[in-house]
Formats: sequence, C-alpha cells, structure tokens
Amino acid sequence: VAKTSLTSPPWPEVKLPDPVEEAKYHAEVVQKVNEMIAAGQYGRLFAVVHFASKQWKITSEDLIMMDNVLEAECGDRIRMEKVLLVGADDFTLIGRPLLGKDLVRVEATVIEKTESWPKINMRFRKRRNYQKKKIIMNPQTVLRINTIEIFPCLS
Amino acid sequence: MVFLSAPRWLRSRLTDRFWRVQEVLKYARHFRGRKNRCYKLAVRSVHRAFVKATKARRQKKRILRALWITRIGAASLEHGLKYSAFISNLMKSQVELNRKVIADLAIYEPKTFKSLAALAHRRRQEGFLAALGDGKEPEGIFSRIVHHY
Repeated sequence: VAKTSLTSPPWPEVKLPDPVEEAKYHAEVVQKVNEMIAAGQYGRLFAVVHFASKQWKITSEDLIMMDNVLEAECGDRIRMEKVLLVGADDFTLIGRPLLGKDLVRVEATVIEKTESWPKINMRFRKRRNYQKKKIIMNPQTVLRINTIEIFPCLS
Repeated sequence: MVFLSAPRWLRSRLTDRFWRVQEVLKYARHFRGRKNRCYKLAVRSVHRAFVKATKARRQKKRILRALWITRIGAASLEHGLKYSAFISNLMKSQVELNRKVIADLAIYEPKTFKSLAALAHRRRQEGFLAALGDGKEPEGIFSRIVHHY
C-alpha cells in the first residue's frame, strides 16, 4: 500500500533498547564503578547535600555559611546525612531522591557562630509622615567540610 | 533671693549634633553629587536607599531563580532538550535537585549535567511509550474501518 501522510503518526517512533541486554549492560557498568571505587581511582569528590533547608554543592575543604543557629558547639564534627548526588571525574551517583547512608559519608566541623552584618529594614511612605527603621542581625554558623567518602556497596 | 538669670544660662543645648549627622552621612559617602556631603539632601537619599534595599531583598530571590532557569534551559538545549522537558522528566524520575544546584552543575560539572540530560531524555521516551499504550483497539468496539493489506 502506498505511504501517505496519514499512514504513520506525526510523532517520531520511539524504540527502547532490549530490556535483557540493557540489564546486562547496567550490571556491567555497576560492577566497573564498584571496582573503581574499591580501587580508589577517583580524584576529588563533590557532593550535593540537603542541609538547613537548602541544597549545597560541596567538595572537601569547603566553607559553608548558614543563616541560622546550629545546636552544636564550635569544633564539633557533624555528619551530613541527606546526600542527593555524589560525583567524581569519571562517574556520578545520582540518588532518587537520596543516596544510602552506607554509600556516602560527608563530615563537617563547626568553625564559628557569629551574627550577620547589621541589615537595615526600612519602610517609608511619602507625604504621610510614616517611616519605620529596624536593624536585623541574623545568627550565622560557618562549617568546614572535612571529607567526602564513598564505599563500594552498589548493587 | 531668687536668681532669675540662672535658668537663662543653663538651658539644655544639643552637644552631639555632629555625631547624629555623621550617622546618616556615613551611609551616603558613596553617592553622587551634593547628597554625599549635605545632610538635608543626604537624609532623603539614604532613606530611599534603605527602602530600595529592603524591597530588593525579596526580589533577589525571584531574579536569581529566573537566572538559574535561563541557564538550565540554555544548557539543556545544548543536549537537545527544552527546559520544561528536562525539569519535568527529572522530577518524574524522583531526582529532587533544585535549580540553583543544577545551574551550578551545568557550569562546573558538564559531564554530570550530560548524564542528567540523558536520564531526563530516557524518562521522556518511556513516558511517550506509556502514553501510546499497546496500539490495539479497545474491546467491544466494532470498527467500520476496512484494513487493506
């Protein structure tokens, strides 16, 4: 039968690869990455961590400043548990949405707890004799990321 | 005796006018023109500057988010995806990265961003296949279309 404009649908045909072959390929890749992690063939690791209701992209020897109080003394070591992504030069581990705690370990130390610079909050309405001025100083905490470690327990 | 001229000498006088004026002028030193020197002009400018700073602190969040979205859209176009397809498929694959971090990855970790784009692309194809269904007609329907083979 001749091909007209309505023989095939106007959207491009989508073909997914064979599931059996794909499973084999996935297992191979996972095994290779496991070997690489076990052998330690990665350079600097970076991680995306969810901390203090914000997401941070961090590496080791990084400084982080949070705009709130942390209930830990200066010099305490902290382990950050909500890791969303870990990457090195050759591979990335993407969590859906989080990575397991037995896979990554991110350690940080509390360095200083200060107040922010005095921010001025001012409201003014012209010709109405209305003005208010308030000086706000938020407490801040500075953390230093010590290490990011990964362990070869992929499956 | 009542000394009547003593209260005339001992009236209260403002002694720290200089410092009160400096408190306002210190915020105006980097302004342009006479409003960085003259108090009357500086007071108005400094108040307007404070109010603008207060409002800008709320707008900064909106502006930065728009910037991240533009950057993510540009980076995903390099990999053949639009911003809407990229973000929607990433969310459907349960990857909860926010726009700030994805924009940083697009700038500093191009390989990671490419893998995220590939993940979104694959999820998009799977979505298309799931929407198309089996390709068979539903049961109980008597079709009058005659198929010529």
